[in-house]
Amino acid sequence: MSIASDLIRGHTDTIILAHLTREDSYGYKINKDIQVKTNNNYELKEATLYTAFRRLEGAGYICSYWGNENTGARRRYYTITPEGRQAYDQMKKEWDEAKELIDILIKSGEERQDGR
Amino acid sequence: MEDKLRAYMDHLFRDVKPTRKTVELKEEILQNLVDKYHDLLKEGKTEEAAYNIAVATIGDMDELLAGLQNENTDMQPVYDEKMDKWRRKSALRISVAVALYIMCLLPPILMSGSAYEDSIAPALMFSMIGVATAILIYNNLTKPYYHRADDSIVDEFREWQQQTDSARRAFRAISSALWALIVVIYILISFWTMAWHITWVIFLIGVAVEGILKAVFELKR
Repeated sequence: MSIASDLIRGHTDTIILAHLTREDSYGYKINKDIQVKTNNNYELKEATLYTAFRRLEGAGYICSYWGNENTGARRRYYTITPEGRQAYDQMKKEWDEAKELIDILIKSGEERQDGR
Repeated sequence: MEDKLRAYMDHLFRDVKPTRKTVELKEEILQNLVDKYHDLLKEGKTEEAAYNIAVATIGDMDELLAGLQNENTDMQPVYDEKMDKWRRKSALRISVAVALYIMCLLPPILMSGSAYEDSIAPALMFSMIGVATAILIYNNLTKPYYHRADDSIVDEFREWQQQTDSARRAFRAISSALWALIVVIYILISFWTMAWHITWVIFLIGVAVEGILKAVFELKR
């Protein structure tokens, strides 16, 4: 895990909600998906993941239920609520705006250097 | 190795009260670790390495555990308040009952020699004893159940235990009132008849009555 993980950690809630907008999922699967998607460059700590679950559940953005697997593994699935979708849209919008601003701010510094 | 992972989780959660919520969370994270452990084995890691990686990626659980503990303590006062209320009322009821027991001797004393000595005086006295006894029984029966303050499994067990005990509680309440009554009757009859040599039999009768009551309660269950 690189230094970037500190930057990403602030967006754990958005990342989890984004996964749940596609399908209901459980803790390990979400983390696995994140790993696969980032080519093993990023992975959430269990502590971070489950703290986020509790926070999101407390805010009413997600609900949970126990799945009935046949394999004997008992998994708690999370599903996103309508409020959660709204929150996700808002978070995504904020991130897009922030990204744009940061891009501008960082780039302008580089360009000025390049221009000299 | 799975047992080792479980032991590790138990260790992490050692200071957390075992409520339904925390036990489920522990199971959930443990399942997560077990899945991860098996995936690591599939990738060709040794058991030892897989265990170490799984445990190392848990991260800092302090915040999560502290959150759980706060939730638990937040819910405690509900139960205490109810109990406090009952205790205060109970003290008042017991005081009144004891006062009635003591004052029940007043009618016979005040009316001795008058025309009411043999009719109203004992009637008043026994009514006062009756009321005092009723207050004691009522007081014991209204003692609040142990209401679950949180989802703790221990608490659930305690609640279950107390509810199945309700018959026994009722019996205890009646039994304690019974013995207070027996002592009063013993003293009164003894003073009345001055037949101290025989009035102690009342206690034997009391034991018999209590035994019968107990049998009735057992049969009901």
